[in-house]
Amino acid sequence: MSDGSDPNTPRRREGLLESIFGKGGRAQYDDQVDIDTELSNKETFFLVGRAVGLLKPVKKLFFAKFLLSTGMWVPGLLLPWIGKIIVDHVVGGKALDDVELRYPPFMDPILASLQGLGPMQIMMVLSILYVGLLFFIGTRAGGTGAYLYEGSDAATQAENQISGGGSEAGGLWGLLEYWVNVRLTQRMVNLLRTDLFEGLTRLSLTTVQDQRIGDSMYRVLYDAPMVPDVVYQLTLRPLAILIAALIQIYLIEYTYGDISPELVWLAWSAFPIAIAITFPFSGLIRRTNQTKRAAGSSTTSSMEESLDSITAVQSLGGMEREKERFAERSEESFLRERYAIVVWAIVVALGGIFLSSLLIYWGRGVAHNVIVGLLTPGDFFALIGILVAIFYAAGELGDTWIFVQEPAAALRRVFFFIDQERDEDAHGEEEMGTLSDGVTFENLSYEYPDGSAALKEIDLELPTNSFVAIVGPTGAGKTSLAYMIPALLRPTRGRVLIDGIDVTRVHLDSLRRQVTYVFQEHLLLSESIRDNLGIANPDATESELLDALQTAGCMDFIASMPQGIDTVLGRSGETLSVGQQQRLSIARGLIRNSQILILDEPTAALDPVAENRLVEALTEISKDRLVIVIAHRLSTIRRADRIVFMDQGRVLEVGSHDALMRDNESQYRRYAMLQGVDSPAER
Amino acid sequence: MSEARFQVNLPGDPDVEDAPRITGRRILELAAKTWPFLRPLKMHLIFYLILIGLSGLVGTVAYTQGLDLLSNKVLVGEEKLLPLQASLLWLDDSFGDAGAGLEVPTDEQRKIVLDRLLIWMAILLVVGIGSFIAIWYWGTWIWHSVNQSLRVAMVEHSQHLSLRHHSDTRVGDTVFRVYQDSAQIINLIQEGLIGPMGLLFGLIWAIVLIVLLAPSLLLALFIVVVPTVWLTIAFTPRIRRRALANRVANSDLTSRLQETFVAAKIIKANRAEDGALQRFDKDSHRALDAAFRVRLEMIVLSLLVMMMGGLCVISTEYFMASWSNERLGLNVPAAMAFLVPFVAWNLGAFQFGRDQTGGAIGQGYGAVRMWSQLQDLFIALERAFFILDLEPEVESPDNPEPFPVEVERLEWRAVDFAYEPSHPVLASLDLVADVGTITAIVGATGSGKSTLMSMLLRLYDPDQGAVSINGVDLKRLSVEDVRANTAIALQKNVLFTGSVADNIGYAIPNIDRDRIVEAAKIACADEFIDELDRGYDTELGERGVKLSTGQRQRLSIARAVVRDTPILILDEPTASLDAVNEQRVLANLEQWGRQRVVFLITHRLSTIREADTIAFLEEGRIAELGSHDELMSREDGRYRRFVRAETLGLAEAMRDE
Repeated sequence: MSDGSDPNTPRRREGLLESIFGKGGRAQYDDQVDIDTELSNKETFFLVGRAVGLLKPVKKLFFAKFLLSTGMWVPGLLLPWIGKIIVDHVVGGKALDDVELRYPPFMDPILASLQGLGPMQIMMVLSILYVGLLFFIGTRAGGTGAYLYEGSDAATQAENQISGGGSEAGGLWGLLEYWVNVRLTQRMVNLLRTDLFEGLTRLSLTTVQDQRIGDSMYRVLYDAPMVPDVVYQLTLRPLAILIAALIQIYLIEYTYGDISPELVWLAWSAFPIAIAITFPFSGLIRRTNQTKRAAGSSTTSSMEESLDSITAVQSLGGMEREKERFAERSEESFLRERYAIVVWAIVVALGGIFLSSLLIYWGRGVAHNVIVGLLTPGDFFALIGILVAIFYAAGELGDTWIFVQEPAAALRRVFFFIDQERDEDAHGEEEMGTLSDGVTFENLSYEYPDGSAALKEIDLELPTNSFVAIVGPTGAGKTSLAYMIPALLRPTRGRVLIDGIDVTRVHLDSLRRQVTYVFQEHLLLSESIRDNLGIANPDATESELLDALQTAGCMDFIASMPQGIDTVLGRSGETLSVGQQQRLSIARGLIRNSQILILDEPTAALDPVAENRLVEALTEISKDRLVIVIAHRLSTIRRADRIVFMDQGRVLEVGSHDALMRDNESQYRRYAMLQGVDSPAER
Repeated sequence: MSEARFQVNLPGDPDVEDAPRITGRRILELAAKTWPFLRPLKMHLIFYLILIGLSGLVGTVAYTQGLDLLSNKVLVGEEKLLPLQASLLWLDDSFGDAGAGLEVPTDEQRKIVLDRLLIWMAILLVVGIGSFIAIWYWGTWIWHSVNQSLRVAMVEHSQHLSLRHHSDTRVGDTVFRVYQDSAQIINLIQEGLIGPMGLLFGLIWAIVLIVLLAPSLLLALFIVVVPTVWLTIAFTPRIRRRALANRVANSDLTSRLQETFVAAKIIKANRAEDGALQRFDKDSHRALDAAFRVRLEMIVLSLLVMMMGGLCVISTEYFMASWSNERLGLNVPAAMAFLVPFVAWNLGAFQFGRDQTGGAIGQGYGAVRMWSQLQDLFIALERAFFILDLEPEVESPDNPEPFPVEVERLEWRAVDFAYEPSHPVLASLDLVADVGTITAIVGATGSGKSTLMSMLLRLYDPDQGAVSINGVDLKRLSVEDVRANTAIALQKNVLFTGSVADNIGYAIPNIDRDRIVEAAKIACADEFIDELDRGYDTELGERGVKLSTGQRQRLSIARAVVRDTPILILDEPTASLDAVNEQRVLANLEQWGRQRVVFLITHRLSTIREADTIAFLEEGRIAELGSHDELMSREDGRYRRFVRAETLGLAEAMRDE
């Protein structure tokens, strides 16, 4: 590779502030369908509200998780007081009777069992208590979680989001909570991403074509897993935090309220302070995270595109360009990730500084009480433990809205495609019977979304039991017209009728069962040949399968394959030649055995022998159905019962080859003559 | 482990059963591979590590001194300050051991010590948070830079791989590897090298502090080590197998998903949405289950280890409480007083000892967790390096010959080629093409036409024989030179994201607009481009879906023409063009191709007839060679039969004979 661009050298170093505040508008990404990505606080609110609604199908597991998360309150309540007893009565050696303070009521049984014991006997009882707690809820050992190593990229993070689980408890309790937690999260993610996947595959064709594949993948794989976390952030966490904090504040009030009342109001003040610091940053955090995710998805897109078109890239010598493009986007995406980190760090730091100052001020007051003998050193550490717990809770509560910001961007990206109009939505419920009359286009026009007209006022009848060829120069609107029949496109004006019934009244399943469309591009999956055909008709019998392959002229090359029709094709069928791919695509169309068969340029990549065989077969099957072929090649066209000649979005002439050739003014005649070979009709 | 076996084994995936084993040597080998990506940042890395070490030391000293001052000197208040502490707090001798003759400090002195201590804490807090953010950003930047180089290297490398590799590796798998697995390289460095180093450092540090305090505590720690190591060894192979199964399942999900989106049109037209959905649901479940299983192993292991660690912490705490209760003496060397400032077992020493044993156990627990995570990381890395390790099949020679200034003659000599050994595509094929000629390559579907042309670009090299230019074997030229001098318009009209002008000028940096327009005119693309909303600046969607096939085809031709190369290949250039445009394009090309070697791969007779020479390809060799008229004059020539079939239809052609 050229020496100018050493891939190992980080290329861009920019001013931090400039980038955070100055370049916000510059972000251009690949979204073509989902363009408007700004989120207001109100929209965020609705999005997260909707996310919470996702709990409905999993409410039992969710309730179990809530019950289990109460496990962490036990150590939170007990540990400060056990610690105090150890500091004062074991290490400090004071007798237990000297207690001037009221212990909270739940300590009574423990205190009762310690009455009259010497320091080391007290320690022994407490140690046994510790061991019990260790075994059941993992106290003194830590929480339960199984995070795999993750990078700062969405992919590894999404993996951990789904399955990392996590419980603040350990021991048996932690194991149980982890289990429930992960299964709950996984179920939610699966429901959601299946929904999203369905939404993406059922988008109307025009939308599908504008949607980047990389972006769709990013949404399904990396955005959807962010959702359950939002739900927990908004339901379980604040609830658990609040309950725990309120209990702690009550304990301070109960035990120390008389000695120093200011302890209590200082503890309370943590909450408004934490929220006041964090809330103003929510917008900034959301924006940096949105651009971060968009940049990530554009990186995936660029890689996906260049690998997908690898033949073109290599043969045009575009490797360097593609690499540069990927490098640039990837760099941008990392940069965006770092901005998100910095903004986040600033918020955390501000919160930390404020709450720590409060803690220092508060600790000074408590220490003075210890020095003058009002409180013991054990009280100091118990109080600090409780206060830290309260501050932690306050900080977390303040962060809740912020935590929601990052996944909110993901939420919007997920819901956007779940909500998009689906093909089905525009269709009625009627079933289509056997084709009796044929297809009628009534005053039909079609405009692209950008307003340019593709089809203009088309009136056309295509009777059943015939073989129709749609002919015309490039860009005449042939494919658009044919797309109207299976409702792959819907007319802007006018109607398409099948046997007199408007296709929009027909249920989409029924319509597409009766109309088969073989595309010009040959899209094969990297599955076996059998599975590739199975997409079209999963119920086909072996003999139907072989018939279709035979008719499409596939058997000669399949016969030479090691596993016959069970041979697995390479990526997108690229181990086959283009002509072979085309024949397989045709076989896939034939096997559906539907009433209307449309083939878009079926013979373009076929040699004459194969072409002729195919046209023969099509003529044969058109005896009891409607076969429509879009073609350029005269050898195909002239066999049609009826030729529809189009130009510039209009149907100009309709008739048989011979009839049209007889008319000296016919545009079709001119077109046919230009095909080069002497017109067979005139020979 | 039968549940972990899947039907689909992606190329390059090791079998689940022989998941790669993690060994010290492999780690070092892998680490060595990451070195080129680390090297440009080595000064950053070194200073980063030094800074982290320094801040750790400052933290420890601040912590032990603070603990001693707060617990023993302020709260319990039975001891006076050590000289070091007095000077740190800017206090006079009356606060120290030697001063004022009092055994214990006064309440006033305790309050002053407290205030000075709190001021120190406030300073450290502000400085600490500030430098924490700075270090955090710096570290992230370093790792991002390494990750960036690695990703780019992987993308670049996979783009240079031979097409033979690409045709059987699914795109999604590559996407997954670059995205998910390359992030793991960073983890290898952070967690596999620096992590263990940090862990070891932390462990030694904790042990040193414990030894200074009470060597007997070490015994308790060692009792825990034996079963922990045994458990870890027992769990390792299970974790490894399940980690691999997890990676495979997730990678599978990704490539299936990608393919479904690519084939969205087919799925819609066939109403196969339900089937696709079911398959996705199944894949998704499988991936989730696999993710859960590997983690369950890790959790059970860590719970067992934590349980033993917890017992150790609780029992040592009991002993230390007992020593503190009896105020047992401590023998910390005076030189170590800045680290362990306790004079006897007192409240501060108890808290300190408790934290240190907890810390040491924590480090051990961290080591076990790290080990099990490394199993997963290691598998990821094997997969990431799989791409980097693949040798491109087509390689430039070390000292390539310069590309000839004027191309005179292209020659295929006894070329054999097969994608799979059992199915030869080309068999001792010979062909010559001279400058100034148009050669049409004609033949049945699958007869090897496109393959023959790919060799000119060195997309593939012949298995036997040679392709040469002016008598020089292409293998002796550099791949870049060869591709730079050959333009091709592909049968599949791929469009790239970007404007129309970008698409035509693809891979030519800073090309001026006039050349693009000129090329578009030759390809007859000019007229429809002018009708587009923004002309040459119109953006094209993914794979150019907004243009008709014929329009895309003309863009492809323009893209080939604009490169102005001595060799031009047009693969079915006119398949989607109507007759009018076909003739215009061909006439233009004929004019333009006077000083070049032009190849046409085509079925269309109207196109073939424009060629000077027609090479009729059959069964991997050139069956007939000559002009249209020559070949048509052969009574039972294959080409003649081909032509008659084209014009008349096969049935009539047969009847005629």
